[in-house]
Amino acid sequence: MLSLLQIELFKISKRPRTYIAFAAITAIVMIFQFAFKADGQSYMNLMLQNVQDNFELDRSKAINGYFMCYIILNTLLVQVPILVALIAGDAISGEANMGTLRLIMTKPVSRTQLIMVKFFASFLFTVFLLIWMAVMALFVSLLIFGADDMLIFRVKGEESQILQITKDDVLWRYFAAFGYAAVALTVIASLGILLSVFAENSIGPIVATVCIVIFFTIVSNINVPIIDKNVKPWLFTSYLVGWKGFFYIGTDFDGQPIKGSIENWAAIRNSLYILMAHIAIFLGIAIYSFRKKDILS
Amino acid sequence: MQALLNVNQLCKSFGQFNAVNNLSFTVNKGDVFGFLGENGAGKSTTIRMILTLITPTSGEIELFGKNLQHNRKEILQQVGAVIERPDLYKYLTAYENLNLFAKMSGLKLSKATLMEQLDIVGLADRFDSNVKTFSQGMKQRLGIAVALVHNPEFIILDEPTNGLDPQGIADIRNLILKLSHERGKTILVSSHLLSEIEIISNRMLIVHRGKKIVEGEVKTLLDPSKTVVSIETTNNHEAFEQLSQSSWKQTLMMNDYQIQLETSKNDIPEIIRFLSDKNIQIHSIQPRHSLEDYFLKLTKSEKHVEPFTN
Repeated sequence: MLSLLQIELFKISKRPRTYIAFAAITAIVMIFQFAFKADGQSYMNLMLQNVQDNFELDRSKAINGYFMCYIILNTLLVQVPILVALIAGDAISGEANMGTLRLIMTKPVSRTQLIMVKFFASFLFTVFLLIWMAVMALFVSLLIFGADDMLIFRVKGEESQILQITKDDVLWRYFAAFGYAAVALTVIASLGILLSVFAENSIGPIVATVCIVIFFTIVSNINVPIIDKNVKPWLFTSYLVGWKGFFYIGTDFDGQPIKGSIENWAAIRNSLYILMAHIAIFLGIAIYSFRKKDILS
Repeated sequence: MQALLNVNQLCKSFGQFNAVNNLSFTVNKGDVFGFLGENGAGKSTTIRMILTLITPTSGEIELFGKNLQHNRKEILQQVGAVIERPDLYKYLTAYENLNLFAKMSGLKLSKATLMEQLDIVGLADRFDSNVKTFSQGMKQRLGIAVALVHNPEFIILDEPTNGLDPQGIADIRNLILKLSHERGKTILVSSHLLSEIEIISNRMLIVHRGKKIVEGEVKTLLDPSKTVVSIETTNNHEAFEQLSQSSWKQTLMMNDYQIQLETSKNDIPEIIRFLSDKNIQIHSIQPRHSLEDYFLKLTKSEKHVEPFTN
């Protein structure tokens, strides 16, 4: 199994398309960093225009590395599923399209093993992608903008909030958020692998994965009580941005932030369970279907 | 003879279409077994079932005396295959492809061993070239190297000369013969060309529309005493008249272009002499075995063809 995983990672590393995702992330992050370095104050004024009367802060320090990373992740983690789908949607269908699937399956490799190896390879690709995002969005931003207390703009119900997290309480939240994002993106990877089992070219499963994510994201954003109650809790897309929960700091009775706390840990834990259940279901169906499939490519 | 592959009443249906219908045959240890049939006869479907790529609708396959379904992994460790096109990872080099598939077979081979394998198929000097730069023949040879990398006892080659130029075809044939004679491998080769099977195989099976037509020793099935001779002369009508009065008259036939008669291959010099003596000039004389004739009927006919009897 380990040897097969090494082979899979070797193949992924040798394919030029793998680096598109890393190049895209690098380019987007650099554009953000350039824009905020050049004109970050305008953005900050816009965000603070509703709250500047009752909130005092040193605006020159508000745009710092931690804040930058949050802004970048907020935008980028919505698009990253597409990059994950590029690799996962190609997992089995790409081999079928190249004709290498039949060659692999004539070797003493079981079908379950192959799906699991493709899954772990997609998971590791996702992790590498997130590590690269962390390096670019967090560490490079810290180098450029420095470290300071972090501000979070939040809309809770009909109320706008600004949360302030002290700089020595931020880094662990990022590690936790990246960990959560890895689980959330692995759902996309397992969905991509499932769809790739049924196709003999990569385009179909990649497009289908992205379409499903877009469709359910739209459904997740429809604010109608019947959907809120009966549909949203079961959609994985409702939990893709759950990583933000690590930055919603808990407060005491006076509304003062409690260092090292999270407002709703139970919600994060439940989100993780539902995401992991989706991974298990998608992977289970992929294995079952692939074991039954006649390889005709 | 020790049976290496036993296919027993194998069937495969895709919906209403029966691709393989109650097919049974045996490949013995040391055979170069020709698996003959026109395109769509069910050869590739059968091969894919032997390699567990397709699940049979019914029937059994035994390899090395073991049930394939229950001992898949163990059996496939001793089988190497090239199925239809030799598709490999185009963005990897020949060496990387070979190394990767060796690892998939559970082997960690040294560079020297892998280079030796590439040398067998004549690709040692291109070991570091990307496969996308290879010709069809080179890809086919690399495909064979991949099939052989784990030193399997049984090799399956599905239409290995498809799309190759004459030199490529000759190279593959020589390689098959070398593997059989020098390395003692058992080989199953599928083809839609009887002439190809005749050259390389000792035993053969013909399938048509998923059914077995004939199975046996190539020497017996292609017995030279059963030859259809096609003759073209300067005057076919005169030649036909003359031959009608000879000992060959029993099987004599004529169409617009040629005369045909069934006889032994050894009679051909005598036929030439006979017609020359009658001052009839021969344009061409072509012997074809009755099995070949029968196979041509199978491949051309959409209708039912009577079973072959040798």
